[in-house]
Amino acid sequence: MRLIRYTTPVARAYHPAFARSPWAGLEEQMDRLFEAALGETAGPAAAGFPVDLYEDAAATYVRAELPGVNRADINVELADGTLQISAKRTRKTGEREETVEFNRALTVPEGAVAADKISAAFENGVLTVTLPKREEAKPRKISVAVS
Amino acid sequence: MSLLSTLIPSLAPAPAAPAPAPRTDSEPTRTPRHEVTDTPEAYGLVVELPGVAKDGLELSVDHEQIRVFGRRSWRKPEAWQALHRESRDIAYELVLEHGRTIDAEKIHAELRDGVLRVSLPKAEALKPRKIAVA
Repeated sequence: MRLIRYTTPVARAYHPAFARSPWAGLEEQMDRLFEAALGETAGPAAAGFPVDLYEDAAATYVRAELPGVNRADINVELADGTLQISAKRTRKTGEREETVEFNRALTVPEGAVAADKISAAFENGVLTVTLPKREEAKPRKISVAVS
Repeated sequence: MSLLSTLIPSLAPAPAAPAPAPRTDSEPTRTPRHEVTDTPEAYGLVVELPGVAKDGLELSVDHEQIRVFGRRSWRKPEAWQALHRESRDIAYELVLEHGRTIDAEKIHAELRDGVLRVSLPKAEALKPRKIAVA
């Protein structure tokens, strides 16, 4: 026989860990859906920014829109297979000064990127990070002479 | 979309401004993120135009509208293949009505790092004036 201790609902409600509504999971899902659907019209969230990914035979390219950010306030880091782009934008309006921080992390396939050859350029408010592919990861073309 | 007039209804001219003329070209555009500020001397307009260079930008002010049109200067190289896109290549367009309250001769604009800042000085007649009482 098992004894199940009775816990009063009141005690539960006081404890933040148990105050979670049974629908919390669903609510989170819904929020995420709405965010995905409305992302374009509502504008990117305060902490995010739009990112495009491109690829060619030699490299993978990440283009991030960071309008109004100073070149010096952009930080690009690759660690443990994660490319972290963080930036800070300070805007002065009269005496008021506000700083917005942007952050975005992308997973980079381990071993596919020549980590020592990564470069980045910033032009017209768009950051382009070039992640060259490692020699082993590049598709190889072998021409065979037909006689 | 008369944002400037909406912000300061008292400054809007009495007769309603006619609706903006329909654009002749049917190129799709999107409205960029923007901000309008108001000081006693001037209106400030800040428009986010990532990817737009100086030669791709058109700023025109006529007697009732301010029109910002920006085209991205960057083109995807042929060999590049898009894996994931969050931005759009279409041009930016923003039309604001200014309610004939600005001095078109003194407009100053600057484009830096994908942000356009326009200073639109108010017409002399609208500036707050201090009148000395004798």
